Amino acid sequence: MEEEQLIQEIVCGNTLAFKMLMEKYQNRVFCVAMGFVHSKEDAEDLTQEVFIKVYLSLSTFNHESKFSTWLYRITINTCINFANRNRKRRLLQSLEDVWHSAFNQRDEEQTPLEKMEISERNLLIKKAIDSLSDRQRVAFILSKYEELPQKEIAAIMNTTEGAVEQLLQRAKNNLQKKLKRSVGN
Amino acid sequence: MSKYIKTQMSAENYIDDFIRGEKQTEPNPFLSTRIVAEIEKMQQAEIKKVTWWQIVVFVACIVTMVFLGITIGNSYISHISQEITMNINDNEIENLGYYSLNNYE
Repeated sequence: MEEEQLIQEIVCGNTLAFKMLMEKYQNRVFCVAMGFVHSKEDAEDLTQEVFIKVYLSLSTFNHESKFSTWLYRITINTCINFANRNRKRRLLQSLEDVWHSAFNQRDEEQTPLEKMEISERNLLIKKAIDSLSDRQRVAFILSKYEELPQKEIAAIMNTTEGAVEQLLQRAKNNLQKKLKRSVGN
Repeated sequence: MSKYIKTQMSAENYIDDFIRGEKQTEPNPFLSTRIVAEIEKMQQAEIKKVTWWQIVVFVACIVTMVFLGITIGNSYISHISQEITMNINDNEIENLGYYSLNNYE
């Protein structure tokens, strides 16, 4: 079934059509959510929240942009709100993950010290990504996680390609500045 | 290669490795089923939702029925007669002639 047809069916209340649409875009939404929250459980909760919002507001979608563009906008707004609401809880969760990963018995090729070093480095990278401004973070995640072209990112963020390129460059510089002392050594 | 460039490249490599690791995370395969179930639950809750005017009508009906019942009950009691009648069947009463002395020996 074509996307337009699927959307028409969903607006008429067909949950099976909605499930088909969800299966098409689920992984993309999940991937973007992972870029914002870095936790599988939180990303799943966010994916659920996004698709419920999509279902409830699909009748307001006016086809001025592509459906994927509209979906990405909802995803980004939901993720930013979630990330800002739960900043402290997620920081504590990350610290716990560092501790637990040192004693993860599955990977026996690395020593606990190596695992802890990797986890600490990942924690620093997460904090660095989270410390970017909202616009830089959005551009960075859409570019690195979703590998979207700048043109599409510009359409999603409702800006120009030049502005997106600047945002990506600033994000890259900020990340390297924050990480060069700790991660680079 | 200068130390600064080496540091930059290693930071970039670490970031790319980190992102690659996160991208490999897959969601629960039953996530879509869970979301559809959540939506159906919301739809059920919407159907069961009662509006304020429905509550008002329901309460008004109950009050009317109670008032009607009391009124009917009161009117029924007011028509009951206060007179008491006795219904005596003379044939079943003990024959007092047995105790008289005439012709029963």
